[in-house]
Amino acid sequence: MVAKVAININGRLFQEEVPERMLLVDFIRERAHLTGTHIGCTYEGVCGACTVHLDGEAVKSCMLLAAQADEHKVTTVEGLAPDGELTPLQEAFKSEHGLQCGFCTAGILMNMTDFLKRYPNPSEQEIREGLIGNLCRCTGYVHIINAVRKVVQENQSRKT
Amino acid sequence: MSQRKNDDWMGTPLPRKEDRRLLTGKGKYVSDIVIPGALHAVFVRSEYAHAKILSIDTSEAEELAGVERIYTGDQIKHLIKSMPQPIVQPALPAHYPTFWPLAVDKVTFHGEPVALVIARDKYVAEDAAELVFVDYEELEPVLDPEEALKPESAIIHEKDGTNEIFSMTFTGGDTEASQAKNAAEVEKIFQNAPIVVKDRFKTHRTGVTPMEPRAILCDWDDSDGLLAYITTQRPHIDRLALSDILDISAEKVQVIAPRDQGGGFGVKAPFYRENIIIAHAARDLKQPVRWVESRYESLMNVGQERDQINDMEIAADLEGNMLALRNFGLADNGVGTTGVYWGFVMPFLGAIELPNGYKWPKADIRLKVATTNKACLTPSRAFGHFPTRFAIERCIDMVAHKIGMEPSAFRRKNLVADLPYTSITNEYFDSGDFLKVWDTLMEKANLPDFRVQQKNALSEGKYIGIGFGCGVELSGVASELFVPMENQPGYGAATVRLDPRGKVQVFGGDAPGGQGHETTTAQVVASEFGISPEDVIITTGNTGSTPFGSGSVGARMGSYFISAVAEACRELKTKIAKFLAHDLQLEASVEHFEFKNGEVVYLGDDSQRSSFMSIVERIIMFPINMPEGETGGLDATTFFEAAKPMICFNADCCVVEVSLETGDFKILKWITAEDVGNVINPLIVNGQMHGAIVQGISNTVFEEFVYDEQGQQLTADFEHYKMANAADVPNIDLNYATTPCPHTPLGTRGIGEGRPSSVPGALTNAVCDALKPFEIEITTLPLRPDAIWQKIQDATQ
Amino acid sequence: MQAVKSRILRPAHVIDLQALSELKFVKAEKGLLTVGAMTRYVDIVSSDSIPLELIALKDAASRVGDRQVRNRGTLGGSLCWNYSAACTPAAVLALDGAMNLISPDGSTRQVAADDFFLGPLETARKEFEILLSVDFKLTDSKSGSAYKKWGLVTDALPVIGIAACLHFSNMDCCDYARITLTGLSGAQRCLGAEASLVSTSANTEQITEAMMIACSEISTYTDSIATEDYRYQLIKTIGLEVIETAKKRAFSLA
Repeated sequence: MVAKVAININGRLFQEEVPERMLLVDFIRERAHLTGTHIGCTYEGVCGACTVHLDGEAVKSCMLLAAQADEHKVTTVEGLAPDGELTPLQEAFKSEHGLQCGFCTAGILMNMTDFLKRYPNPSEQEIREGLIGNLCRCTGYVHIINAVRKVVQENQSRKT
Repeated sequence: MSQRKNDDWMGTPLPRKEDRRLLTGKGKYVSDIVIPGALHAVFVRSEYAHAKILSIDTSEAEELAGVERIYTGDQIKHLIKSMPQPIVQPALPAHYPTFWPLAVDKVTFHGEPVALVIARDKYVAEDAAELVFVDYEELEPVLDPEEALKPESAIIHEKDGTNEIFSMTFTGGDTEASQAKNAAEVEKIFQNAPIVVKDRFKTHRTGVTPMEPRAILCDWDDSDGLLAYITTQRPHIDRLALSDILDISAEKVQVIAPRDQGGGFGVKAPFYRENIIIAHAARDLKQPVRWVESRYESLMNVGQERDQINDMEIAADLEGNMLALRNFGLADNGVGTTGVYWGFVMPFLGAIELPNGYKWPKADIRLKVATTNKACLTPSRAFGHFPTRFAIERCIDMVAHKIGMEPSAFRRKNLVADLPYTSITNEYFDSGDFLKVWDTLMEKANLPDFRVQQKNALSEGKYIGIGFGCGVELSGVASELFVPMENQPGYGAATVRLDPRGKVQVFGGDAPGGQGHETTTAQVVASEFGISPEDVIITTGNTGSTPFGSGSVGARMGSYFISAVAEACRELKTKIAKFLAHDLQLEASVEHFEFKNGEVVYLGDDSQRSSFMSIVERIIMFPINMPEGETGGLDATTFFEAAKPMICFNADCCVVEVSLETGDFKILKWITAEDVGNVINPLIVNGQMHGAIVQGISNTVFEEFVYDEQGQQLTADFEHYKMANAADVPNIDLNYATTPCPHTPLGTRGIGEGRPSSVPGALTNAVCDALKPFEIEITTLPLRPDAIWQKIQDATQ
Repeated sequence: MQAVKSRILRPAHVIDLQALSELKFVKAEKGLLTVGAMTRYVDIVSSDSIPLELIALKDAASRVGDRQVRNRGTLGGSLCWNYSAACTPAAVLALDGAMNLISPDGSTRQVAADDFFLGPLETARKEFEILLSVDFKLTDSKSGSAYKKWGLVTDALPVIGIAACLHFSNMDCCDYARITLTGLSGAQRCLGAEASLVSTSANTEQITEAMMIACSEISTYTDSIATEDYRYQLIKTIGLEVIETAKKRAFSLA
C-alpha cells in the first residue's frame, strides 16, 4: 500500500510515492538522502538520535510515519546552517567539545535549537531535563550542557 | 585558530577538525554509505536460550516478492569454515567452541542468528524474516555460572564435555606445585592475620553500548574481491579473519572502517559472526549486501560484560598494612561464540589487574569462566576489570572499617610508591606517581571538612557519605601481553607522508570512534613540523592504505600510535635538516634547526632559513644535487613499541546523599585526580574522562541485562535497558596530576579505556559511608534504591 | 507507535487525526474545563486555561517521556491506549474526567473515567468511536490535586505513579478524595485510602494510614527494577508527598 507524500525538507520539496508504513526517518535518509539524522534504537523511540523539527518543533522522526509529514515542513540538521555558517549553538558545541562520535549530535542540536527558542534562559537543571530525550554515550553530557549554557550566556549578554 | 601555548600545539584546547562535518550532518557512518543496488539483510534469531533446531521452513518467506536469498546454518556449514580460526584465537588454553555464523543443529542463546534473509529493502526483509518458521525442541537452559560448573549440569558445547571454557591461576608461578605452595603460604597469612575480611562480590551483566549499533556493507567483484565497510575498531584484524575464513586470498580483501563511527568502547572490537555471512552473501550473490543492526539485536547480542562473582578475602594488620589478597573469580561468559575474545579474555585480564595499584606482599588469585546460555560477553570499556575493581575497592573499605581507619588513609598507605613496579600478578607498572595523584585528590576532597558536614547532616536526619576509588589502567597493550592474549602485535604504526605543498598526510591502521584522533594527530604533526594542524590530514582504518594496526583498543592512541607518528615526523625532520644543511652549505644536523611558523631556521644564524614548503618541495620534486647517499621523497613509516608495558593512574572521590525513606541517592559531587601524562588536547582528554565516569555511573546504577528463568532476554530495548540521561548524572570536577611518561617520545599516556573501573567502588563506598550508622555493606551490583532500602530495613528491624 | 513498529499492532489502515484542529483545545468556561483529545502534552503544560485545582493534569503531562514526545503525544492518545504504566490516565481518573466519544453516525456519549479505564490497554471506547474531548468539572470548594511518579531514570515510565484530588470543606475537613495509582496494571482507584481520608483533616498521620490501607488492597510484584516490598514503599512515600501537595495547593486557594 503506497501513499503519495509531499514533504518540505530544509526548504526543498520532496514528492515521493512511499509504502504507507515508511517511517519519516527512513524517508529523510533514503528518499531525501539526508543521512545526518540517525537511527539509534528500534521501536522504542527513546534514544533521540532521529530528532528533527516538524513545523519548527523537535520531534522524533522514527516515531512518525512519512505520511504524517505530508504537506508539512521538516528541518533536519543539514538545514540548520544552509549557507555554511554555523549557528551559535553549533559553534558552541565545537568550542566546548560537546560531541565525540557525533552519532547523537544531530538529534541534540535539533532538540536544543527548539528548546532555546522556547526557553531562552534555562537553568542547568532545566537544560538537563530538556535533554532527557537524547541519549549520549561518549560525552557524559557535561560538555553538552556547557555548550548550551554558552549560548544562553551569549544571548543574555547580548540583551544587556 | 586557537591560542597556542609555548608556540606549540601540544596542550592546546584546539576545537576538533572532525566537528564541522559532524555538526552539519555530513558525517559518513557505515549505514550512510550507499552502494547502488545493495541488498538488505535481516537475521532470523533464536527465540530460545537452548534448543535443538528440528527444521527451518523458509518456503513462505522465499515466495515474498523482493526476497533474494535465505541462508540457514545447514547450508552454510558446508560452505564456510567453522570457528575457531587461528587469526582470531588467543594463545591461551581454553575450550574454544566450534561454531558457524548461523546456528547449526542447535541454538545456544536467545537472539543467536539462525537464518539470514537477503531482500530488496529492509521492510521486505523484515516481513520475510517473520515468515521463516523454525521448529525447535527446547532444552534445559543453563543460566547460572555456579550451576553450569556442577557435574550434573547440561553441557552446552557437547564436544568440550564441560561448561568451563577457561580457568587459570594468576599467582604463585606456572606449575601446580608452585601454585599450591603459594596457596599454602597465603592461607598461613590469613590464619595469623589480625584483620580478615571475606565476602562475595557480585557484579551484574552490563556494558557500554555505543549509540551506533553494528553495521556492515559488503561489495564483491570477481576480479578485485571483497570490499567491506564495517563498524569496527580493528579493520586489519577483520580483513585477515575474513580472508582466512572465507578462503579469499588476502590481497583481494579490503576492509574500511569509515572515519566516522558512532562509538566503539570495545563493543566493535570482536570479530563477529554476522560479518562472515554477510561477506559470504555478497560473494555468493555477486551483489552488494548491507546489514544494519537494530538496537534490539544489539542489546540481545553485544555489549554484555562484567557478569562476575568474586569471592574475595583481604588480610591486614592493625597498623593498616595490606598483608594478603585471595580471590576466586567466577565469570558468566555466555556462550563464548565470538571471535578474538571468546568472552573469557575479559575476565582473564580483569584477574591480572585485580590487585590494582596496591602493594600486595602475597596473593592467591584464581579465575574460572563458565559457559551459559546467554549472549557471549563482549568487551566494554574498563575491559574485564570493572567487576574486579568493584570487589577490591569495596573490600578495602570493609577492611578499613574493621581496622578503624579512614578508607582513604588505608589506601594511601598501601599504594605503590616506587615505580617501575611489578604487581603480584606480574603486571608491569612502568611509571607514574600514584601518591601525587592521590594527594591531589585528597586536597580537593577535603575529608576533614566533609566529616564535620556529615556529622552536622546526621544531626538533622540527613545521610551524606563520601567514597573513594582508584585504578591502574592500561596505557596501550604491549606485544608481550597482546601476543599471548590475542595473537596480535602491540606496536603503534604510522605512515607520515609529506607533499610538495608542505602538507602532511598521516595514515594509521587503527579505527577510532569519536576520540578525536584526527585532531590530536594533527596537533602533534603540526608541533613537530612547525606548521598548522589545518595542513595535516589523517586517514584511518582503511586496510588498503594504512599500515597494520591492532585496533583502537586498550588506549593505544596516546601510548603507541601517536608515538609512532612523532617518531616518523622526527625521521623526516632529520632528512629535511640534512638536505637544508647541504643546500646552505652548513655543517649541521637536525638539532641545529628549529621548525617553527612554517619555516625551518638554522639556530646558529637565523638568516639561514627556508620555508617549510619550499624545502619539502625541493626534496620531493627536485631531487638533484643531493647530500651524499640520499634519495628524494619524504615518506616514513614507523613502528613504535615501548620498552615495557605502560600504565596510567587515576582516582575518584564522590559525595552522595541517601534517602532513608526510598533508598534513592543523589550524587552531590564527583571529584577526580588523574595522571594522564602529557596532554595534547585538554578538551579531548576532559571529554574522555567525563564520558568514562558517566558510563561507569550508568553501568553501576541503571543498566542491567536481564535473563529470566527460561533464558529469555528481557532488556533488548532502551525502555528496559535503562541508560543514564542528562538529568541523572552530575557535573565532574577533573583534576590532573600528571607525570610525563618516560617511555614515549612525547611523554603522553594512553588514557580513557580503563577509566570507568574505579567508579562502581567509589560510588558504592560513598553510599555505604552515608549509611555507616546502620553498618550496611553493599557487595552486589547494580546499586539500586530498592536494594539499598531493603538493607536499611534489614538493619533497622 | 511503539506497538505498531514492534508489530504488536498491525493496523490495516491508519487514519491521521492531526489535521482536525477542532480536537486541539483547552477551554475553561461555565464551571467546566474541556480538553480536546488531540491536545498535545506540550499544549497542556503551556496552557493558561487549566485552573489550579486541576494542576495534576499538568504534573502528569509535563513529565511524560521527554520534550520531543511531549511535542507530539496527545491526551487522547494516552487515554485511549491506557498503558499499564502511563501517567495521564491516573491523573484523569483522579480528577474524575468524563470522556466524550463520538460514533460514526454522529451520536455522542459521555463515559466517566471510572467506567472508561477498564484495565491495561483496555478502555470503554468502542471499536469505531473516536474520543473527542475530556470534561473536568470545576468546584467551588477548596480543591487541590497533584501527580508524581518514580522510575529508575529521570522521567521514566512510572514504576509507581500516584495522583490525588482532594476537596476541603469550610471547616478544613476533607470531604472528597480521589486517589489513583499507575504502574502496576494501569490507572486504578485506591478506594480504601480515599474512604479513610474523607471526614479527616488529612494530616500526615492520616495520610500515612490511608496509604497503608491502599497497600493492603493492592498486590505488587518483584522485577529487576523494584521488589514487591519496594513498590509498597513507593506507594507510601509518593502517596504521602502527592496528597500533602494536593492539600497544600487546596489551601493556597483559600
